[in-house]
Amino acid sequence: MANDKELSDFLKSAERRAFKRTAFAVRDDDAALDIVQEAMIRLAEKYADRPLAELPLIFARILSNATMDWFRRQKVRQATMQNFSELESGSDDADFDLLEALETADGGNWDQQGPAERLSREQTLALIEQEVSALPARQREAFLLRYWEELDTAETAVVMGCSEGSVKTHCSRAVHALAKALSAKGLKP
Amino acid sequence: MIGTSGKRRVDLDALQARFSLRVASRLTEQAGSLPHDLGERLRVAREQAVHRARELRRAEASSTVSVLGSPGGVATLGSSPSAWVRLASLMPLMVLVLGLVLIQHLHDRAEIHAAADVDAALLADDLPPEAYGDPGFVEFLRQPEQ
Repeated sequence: MANDKELSDFLKSAERRAFKRTAFAVRDDDAALDIVQEAMIRLAEKYADRPLAELPLIFARILSNATMDWFRRQKVRQATMQNFSELESGSDDADFDLLEALETADGGNWDQQGPAERLSREQTLALIEQEVSALPARQREAFLLRYWEELDTAETAVVMGCSEGSVKTHCSRAVHALAKALSAKGLKP
Repeated sequence: MIGTSGKRRVDLDALQARFSLRVASRLTEQAGSLPHDLGERLRVAREQAVHRARELRRAEASSTVSVLGSPGGVATLGSSPSAWVRLASLMPLMVLVLGLVLIQHLHDRAEIHAAADVDAALLADDLPPEAYGDPGFVEFLRQPEQ
């Protein structure tokens, strides 16, 4: 059972990622803050007595549900479904070599710290965020839950309400899309 | 033994995971530099949530204590004092009804005793009860004493 300090520490560690993840989805900082706050309150009211180790998965699920509730309230569910359908759209990148792009990206040296490099780095961070934000909703959600929230495939599937196979597909497509977009801009994450 | 395509698959998975983790670490870095007002609003939201959890725990603890701490652990009849007031207001009526029933009972007993006394007097008298059914004897009784 998590005590007040453990609950506070957990929320502190998760709040910024939760905010950014929600902001990617709803594209509105104020709405994202409201959703994160609502999720925090729900967690505190209903699940504060659960073991600390269970909180990340529970919070991720509450946050996803709260985000979906927000979409329902905004009556833009249709718009998000259109985004989902983009998953099935076009394969005009048949000649794109993912392995080559990833190998190139993997060779980048990120630890340069001169002023010019720092500026370049900040711009790169902003562009990476922009590309992640541009991913289709389900791909982005799978990618962020799996690699940013560090949930495993099964946990991600539970939060997203889909199969593990779908999670793998979404993640793979997200990586493919990100690698292609970042390569096109000459960026190495 | 892993073939060429299998090796390529493994390489791809490993590179994909490494690439994803690098992107995730950049996102973490970017999230760390949120504007101050957003950070503050998140802090306030977090504190409200923790405060709410604390309040609920206290309320739960105090309700448990009040149940265990009630006198003798006996459940009380209703929580509202109006139930007791209503019950107390019915007491005089109940006493009145009980009194009337008692008076009726005592009255019946007195009548039974009186009838029993008359019967006992008649049976103990020298004159047989059948005499009171004789018209001549009744006429005799109506005549003034001479």
